[in-house]
Amino acid sequence: MAIQVSGITKRFNDFTALDSVDLEVRSGELLALLGPSGSGKTTLLRIMAGLESPDAGGLLLNGEEALGLKPRDRQVGFVFQHYALFRHMSVFENVAFGLKVRPRGQRPSSAEIRRRVAELLELVQLSPFAGRYPAQLSGGQRQRVALARALAIEPKVLLLDEPFGALDAKVRKELRRWLRKLHDDIHITSVFVTHDQEEALELADRVVVMNQGRIEQIGTPAEVYDHPASAFVYEFLGQVNRLDCTVEGGIAHVGGGALAIATDGGVQGPAVAYVRPHDLGVTPAAGGPARISGIHVVGPDARIDIDLAGLALEAEMDRERLATLGIVAGDRCSVHIDRARVFAR
Amino acid sequence: MPADTVTGTSVPMPPVRSALSEPGWVRILLIGGALLFLALFLLLPLVAVFAEALHRGFDAYWTALTEPDAVAAIELTLIVAAISVPANLLFGVAASWCVAKFDFRGKNLLITLIDLPFSVSPVISGLIYVLLFGLNGLFGTYLRDMGIQIIFAVPGLVLATIFVTFPFVARELIPLMQEQGSDEEEAALVLGASGWQTFWRVTIPNIKWGLLYGVLLCNARAMGEFGAVSVVSGHIRGETNTMPLHVEILYNEYNFVAAFAVASLLAMLALVTLVVKTALEWRFGDELAATRH
Amino acid sequence: MVAAGSGAVAAGRESAVTVRASLPLFRKPSVLPGFGLTLGFTLSYLGFIVLLPLAALILKSSGLGWSGFWAAVTTPRVLAAFQVSFGLSLAAALTNAIFGFLVAWVLVRYDFPGKRLVDALVDLPFALPTAVAGIALSALYAPNGWIGRPLDELFGLKVAFTPLGIAIALTFIGLPFVVRTVQPILQDLPPEEEEAAASLGASRLQAFSGIILPAILPALVTGFALSFARGVGEYGSVIFIAGNMPGLTEILPLLIVIKLEQYDYAGAAAVGTAMLGVSFVMLLILNLLQQWMRSRHAR
Repeated sequence: MAIQVSGITKRFNDFTALDSVDLEVRSGELLALLGPSGSGKTTLLRIMAGLESPDAGGLLLNGEEALGLKPRDRQVGFVFQHYALFRHMSVFENVAFGLKVRPRGQRPSSAEIRRRVAELLELVQLSPFAGRYPAQLSGGQRQRVALARALAIEPKVLLLDEPFGALDAKVRKELRRWLRKLHDDIHITSVFVTHDQEEALELADRVVVMNQGRIEQIGTPAEVYDHPASAFVYEFLGQVNRLDCTVEGGIAHVGGGALAIATDGGVQGPAVAYVRPHDLGVTPAAGGPARISGIHVVGPDARIDIDLAGLALEAEMDRERLATLGIVAGDRCSVHIDRARVFAR
Repeated sequence: MPADTVTGTSVPMPPVRSALSEPGWVRILLIGGALLFLALFLLLPLVAVFAEALHRGFDAYWTALTEPDAVAAIELTLIVAAISVPANLLFGVAASWCVAKFDFRGKNLLITLIDLPFSVSPVISGLIYVLLFGLNGLFGTYLRDMGIQIIFAVPGLVLATIFVTFPFVARELIPLMQEQGSDEEEAALVLGASGWQTFWRVTIPNIKWGLLYGVLLCNARAMGEFGAVSVVSGHIRGETNTMPLHVEILYNEYNFVAAFAVASLLAMLALVTLVVKTALEWRFGDELAATRH
Repeated sequence: MVAAGSGAVAAGRESAVTVRASLPLFRKPSVLPGFGLTLGFTLSYLGFIVLLPLAALILKSSGLGWSGFWAAVTTPRVLAAFQVSFGLSLAAALTNAIFGFLVAWVLVRYDFPGKRLVDALVDLPFALPTAVAGIALSALYAPNGWIGRPLDELFGLKVAFTPLGIAIALTFIGLPFVVRTVQPILQDLPPEEEEAAASLGASRLQAFSGIILPAILPALVTGFALSFARGVGEYGSVIFIAGNMPGLTEILPLLIVIKLEQYDYAGAAAVGTAMLGVSFVMLLILNLLQQWMRSRHAR
């Protein structure tokens, strides 16, 4: 099912959580809403679920106006950030809840409910835990119960609020892969909220980068990472060197002329150039303008601190390349920029 | 405002750290002092009630309890509690629902007003109803013409009891429900539950022990209240005397055995209340607001 | 307020949400149902049970006019009752501050057999009906009672039917307030501060007065204030042991009852209003004092 958000605006007192947001979620895709806290991503998700109502704007679920509908009539599955499992119900009862509360006419028989719940617990690999209570489960298991519970009502859309936020790093990674695989299997239109760029880039078909109630960019993970549409996206996604510069005739001059970067035009005057550490090349040169001020080896990669006429830069390369270059801290070198983006200041 | 609900019983002792411990004799002296004080001020009065009640033997005790006026007082006490406790239970649940689950203007004022009856003297709690519904009260003439009697009758007893036990359930439930938040209710609504289904299947099971705790304290106070009901009762034997009032009459007539016999029933109620309350705190401490701090 | 509440609820159901933005935002919209119903019931119940009757009290005493009110609450008998009620409540609250702290300390810091039982027993004054406490204390401290007789014979000290008896009843009633406010604070006191003090060479007594006491003082003051406020209003546990001699052992609540029995409704209302007023002002002062202490300790 597709979701269409048009001109949604939401204010909490003086704070604007969402400022006229337009977004289309395509049927069957896994979409990430990525942004720092306060960017409005959770509010947008809650509006889709019907847990909040916007001050203005429209929402279409599968082409039908949905703002007037109560949450129960929207056929959405919602996974809460802290799971919101019913603490006094067992895993089985939690998953069965959405079926048991249906009006008498639409309620499946109890045998049917048992079968469906067993199926779902099988899907989330929790069959042996049906009789346990939420307090007796690990974080990752609770997360999967929450997912099974949301899927039990056969929703048309799955909405997940920071689904891995409360888990430790290792479990988070495992669950991420597992959720991607699950989505590939059942292909339900899914939207998840995260502040973790790695999570968004690894998991999603498309990423929506949000900031201060607005959408900064929408694109595939490769698009948003390789071609950030704004300075914000550049700074928010991955490590980046931020260099003040002046653009004259398509050339950006950094650090009083120590470095020149070709731009794709359009910008004139004071500007900021963004350079990814791995787009910054280092060549040893005895009389070079720059100096290696430090080298930090982190696992397979090396981070190199460079001092270019008082300007601190960071470059990144694998250890093999570092060994080939044979540079050590204190060496002089020259730097060149493979790729950069320049935004007017 | 009683701190009945501010207890810390179920928390285990912190491990003894040697730098933080006093010399043995100081410890023994302090423990001894505290226990002596408690024995003298709390335990001895309790023992005295039963000793006085039974000092003419069990037969005299039983006679005092089965005498018609005593039975009438027991019945009246049960009736008053049976009306006022459910009333305050209903109020407590409604008040905590709107206070804990919603944000609205004037919420803090509302919480303060709910606590207000705890800071009003019991006698004043009775007095205000006399001023409203008594013969010389605001609505006195009107009520007399209508043939309705509130003061010196059961309705007055119920009203005064409701007033003094007003906050018990609400003040236990409000912090509990605030702490639990609305996530589970929202989850239920998204899963298709109606408002009532959400309330009965999600909210009530989550607060049931806190609810029981509040009702327990509310009931103990409702059955034991003296000052407020004393003002509105009129002290008509066998008609408007609750157990505490009956105790007073008997005591003032120097019928000590009977007075203490009825008092011993109230003391037993207090002991049962304490036992159940302590059991709830031990067993379900993490599901009560009262044991958090 | 009720009307505004249901208005907001109605607006919430519509999808034409622009309407709501122009309304004063009385409450934050929520998807949970039942706001209008529960708030409406809460306010009506509160209004009928608590606010309307309390308003009747103020109304009745204002019927006297300012000079009449002043005259009613400044008769020698009323003034004496004020002195008895507030003075003895103060004495009892001070006693409780000391012994309540001792009890809380022993319960939190030490282990001894029967500790849980003792802990549960502390709540007895909350659970025991005041009239029962009253006749029990009165029987104990009467000249022929278990405690009253030895005190009388050995020291010539009379307790029942004297101000001392009232103070004892008020101590009984107020004790749990101090214990139950100090206990959790003492429990949560981080041991590191005391260990730091010990490692810096402070004695136990210095650590107590320099570290522990300042940290729990706000709670102790709260407990004291609660105990005091309860004492001023207390009726049932006092009247049996007090002797109720006008000017000497007559407490304010009893005076109200006596005025009522004499059909002096306005007088009773005036004394009640004055009593509420004085209690309110004293609690306000204690609250401010407490806030000041807290901010000092936080720094």
